Amino acid sequence: MAIRANPKLIEELELYGAQDVSKCYHCGNCSATCPFSKEPYILPRRSMRSLQMGLEDKLLGDLEPWLCYYCGECSQECPRDAEPGETMMSLRRWLTARYDFTGIAGLFYRSWRAEVIAVLVVAMLTGIGFLLWGFSQGNIDQYDGPNAFLPSGQVHLFDWVMAAVLIVLLGTNCIRMWWFTVGRDKDARVSFGAYVRKLYQLPYSFLTQARYAQCERKRPWLLHLVLMLSYLTMLVLIMFFLGEMAAGPEVDWRVHVFGLLATAGLLTTTILAMRGRLRKTEPLYRYSHETDWMFLILLAVVASTGLLQFVLHRSGLDVAANIAYVVHLMGVVPMLVLEVPFSKWAHLAYRPLAIYLADVKAEALVAEKQAAAPAPLAPAA
Amino acid sequence: MRIGVYVCQTGTGDLDSVSSHAVTSYAANLPSVEIVEDLGTLPTLDIAALATQLRDARLDRVVIAGDSPGFFKPAFTAAMARAGGDPEEVRLASFKEHGASTGVGTSRAKSVVACAVLGVPFPLAAVPATTAVHPGTLVVGGGIAGIQAALEIADAGKQVLLVERTATIGGHMAMFDKTFPTLDCAACILTPKMVAVGQHESIELMTYSEVESVAGDPGDYKVTIRRKARRVDADSCVACTACADVCPSRVPSEFDNGIADRKAIYIPFPQAVPNAYLIDGEACTYVQSDGAKCGVCARKCPKGCIDLDQEDELVAFEVGSIVLATGYDVYDATRIERYGYGTLPNVLTALEFERLTNASGPTGGKIVTKSVRRNKKTKADEWVFDAENGVSPRSVAIVHCVGSRDANHNPYCSRVCCMYSLKFAHLVREKLPEADCYEFYIDMRAFGKGYEEFAERIKAEGTFVVRGRTAKVTEQDGAMIVRGEDILSDRMVDFPVDMVILAVGLVPAEGNRRIADQLGLAVDSDGWFSELDYNADPTDTERGGVYVCGVCQGPKDIPDTVAQASAVAAGVLKGIATGRSRDSLASLSLSDIEKRAADLVEL
Repeated sequence: MAIRANPKLIEELELYGAQDVSKCYHCGNCSATCPFSKEPYILPRRSMRSLQMGLEDKLLGDLEPWLCYYCGECSQECPRDAEPGETMMSLRRWLTARYDFTGIAGLFYRSWRAEVIAVLVVAMLTGIGFLLWGFSQGNIDQYDGPNAFLPSGQVHLFDWVMAAVLIVLLGTNCIRMWWFTVGRDKDARVSFGAYVRKLYQLPYSFLTQARYAQCERKRPWLLHLVLMLSYLTMLVLIMFFLGEMAAGPEVDWRVHVFGLLATAGLLTTTILAMRGRLRKTEPLYRYSHETDWMFLILLAVVASTGLLQFVLHRSGLDVAANIAYVVHLMGVVPMLVLEVPFSKWAHLAYRPLAIYLADVKAEALVAEKQAAAPAPLAPAA
Repeated sequence: MRIGVYVCQTGTGDLDSVSSHAVTSYAANLPSVEIVEDLGTLPTLDIAALATQLRDARLDRVVIAGDSPGFFKPAFTAAMARAGGDPEEVRLASFKEHGASTGVGTSRAKSVVACAVLGVPFPLAAVPATTAVHPGTLVVGGGIAGIQAALEIADAGKQVLLVERTATIGGHMAMFDKTFPTLDCAACILTPKMVAVGQHESIELMTYSEVESVAGDPGDYKVTIRRKARRVDADSCVACTACADVCPSRVPSEFDNGIADRKAIYIPFPQAVPNAYLIDGEACTYVQSDGAKCGVCARKCPKGCIDLDQEDELVAFEVGSIVLATGYDVYDATRIERYGYGTLPNVLTALEFERLTNASGPTGGKIVTKSVRRNKKTKADEWVFDAENGVSPRSVAIVHCVGSRDANHNPYCSRVCCMYSLKFAHLVREKLPEADCYEFYIDMRAFGKGYEEFAERIKAEGTFVVRGRTAKVTEQDGAMIVRGEDILSDRMVDFPVDMVILAVGLVPAEGNRRIADQLGLAVDSDGWFSELDYNADPTDTERGGVYVCGVCQGPKDIPDTVAQASAVAAGVLKGIATGRSRDSLASLSLSDIEKRAADLVEL
């Protein structure tokens, strides 16, 4: 079978943030440093090699980039300063773009202008839309109740429609991811039983980020876990308890305690991440792609305006609360519509899926290898 | 003739002292120069645009000036060819090669550009005047380089003063067991030379001494040597060991790289030259207590040659030439924590292993792992090599490039580590045929005569040669695990081993910079002495009458060191034979070089 090499692949990856890939001289120091480098997944050097050789199709089928959490050990120990950690990060961005059938993700990653314009346009449309709708049927003095400016019942409906669209988009891309990495791979014949047996991996790795915890330094994992759990809590609250959240002005502690905790979690982790990126405190913060900033900025806007509308509403300032709510939605909608399927947020689906698929595929690969290989090449011990 | 000068830098090396602005404005005023452009650091050269520019300006010659202009030559040659010009007329003005890093920075860079513009090789134009030369020579450093140079000069009948910092000559080579690739016994080659130095009537040997200061001019240097207090009269000592037998103080032996102890009164090794004891004042109870305690060695000495109260003394000499052969230190392996050196007992450096496997070493050449012994004095357990009860390792891992070829440590290749690592594998397998031996390498640099064959031989002998750098050595249940990626068979390896040998790289000896400052010499960005011209004058320096040889000029193996040491002798003897030696290059002014270059063009 002919293998196509793309000699411009490194240049393409540089648009996604890759640094100094061509400096690598393949000493294998990075793979030996990495706690996740276990056969059949050897990372990150194998990806560096594939990149240098321009093996686009092979990289598209690789799960290795998703098994890396960018602890940065490899980049720190790299004798060539070839930045393997940043390469894995940029490969994740590139893969996100390639899984996305619309091509929008690729556009956003390659051009920060396109992303900013898209976010601003969606934010403006959202703002105008909700204002028009609010004025057409409600009263700006009313946050809650029969004449509410933005009645939670209808907003709820809007949420569910948006969620459905997102699930379709992200789901299609997840299926594409499965196809590229496992489905089309003739070397890894995965049995149906294996898919079922390993299914526990999806919720398990999503909720605990257990693999991330295997990195030598635990702080990045902890931050990530707090951010993810806060986000998840907020998502559950909004999808199922929006009515209770908006009701007031008295505080309903059954839901609000969760809401406030989640907001605190989101704000703290976002501020810490922003500070880290500005001061470059962690290896993973040394190079920031524009999409990383967009992610943090939207998150900060959404979390702070969410808190603001809560405070304003409880203080009886319904007009201000309604305005804060509109601004909040102007952050939420672009974040969900653009960032979740087409940018950094997508990893919330790809990462656990990759861990699941990697587990399933590894089993098949090992079985295949045992069937095929005669004697191992191992030095006699 | 129409000439274009392009300044392009690669940004490597210490060339901060060169002002590229001053160089460009100087070049613009040179005759026939039509275009001068400063393209900055690592410019992206568009060959088509460059060719158009060269054609439009009708340039006959292009000069690329910069720290390493050869880097950009292919682009300019292609552009010149495309413009229809003569590709041979792309000339280089290399600041780095011609020593523009030495304080004379900008003016040297200007003269290098002037020569390139005129089409005259810089070394032809920059020839300093000669000075009268004193027939004596100072050789600094008594390793194989210094020994060879001293013998060559002394055998020609000229007086040599050989100064060595430690108590014996021999240097690192005396510690080695075998040489590569011939597996000759290192001592068998070195010891006769050491003895010859000790007995030579034309060599004044000063061990345990250091160069205190250097004054004077090329051909007529006045040097002061600090003769450190040896406290034992080397001429009358017969090395009977009576003193060491009674000495109560033990410290790690430098010669054995700390894997064995010596007394405070000691002889570095039995074949030392001079074969005499000395007292280490830092460890001596008598010296440390200002004469209040001990002194038992002086009472025991049958020859009465111990003078415990001796002090350092300064001795002045006049010499015409100075040969620097100061050698190297090995990279400090404790700086790479993940290899566990200093925390895991059986992780050794290359020099420690040399002593372990050496038949004259502490274990008599028996390769054993360290075992625990109770120190009676401190009541603590310590790890030591025990020749009788020690266990032979069942597997040994050798890690290449420790501290070398690494942006986090030393960027350069230390040149000898691949070969000595292969030699180690051979020695391990020769003495312990049952033991597994793993070599972790990045690239196998077997560049010398017979080296590649040697590498193939070691592989054929059954050493497992793994292409992949080890990232870490960890301890698991008392065993060490060496983790790496075997790149050629595409898998991760975790080998349990009993011993790890770190192939530490070479670094300039501790005192190199001090000597460079004393003599006004340049060192390169890695700290090695800068030679006058990398290709044409590899043993001369910027300073007239000062020569370099051996590893202090750059990492090299024993054959290359010996060859360079002999080459140095030729330079020194040429000066003595003609009675004239070259003055320092710094004595030449820009106008001198310009004038001479112009004269050469007219010829």
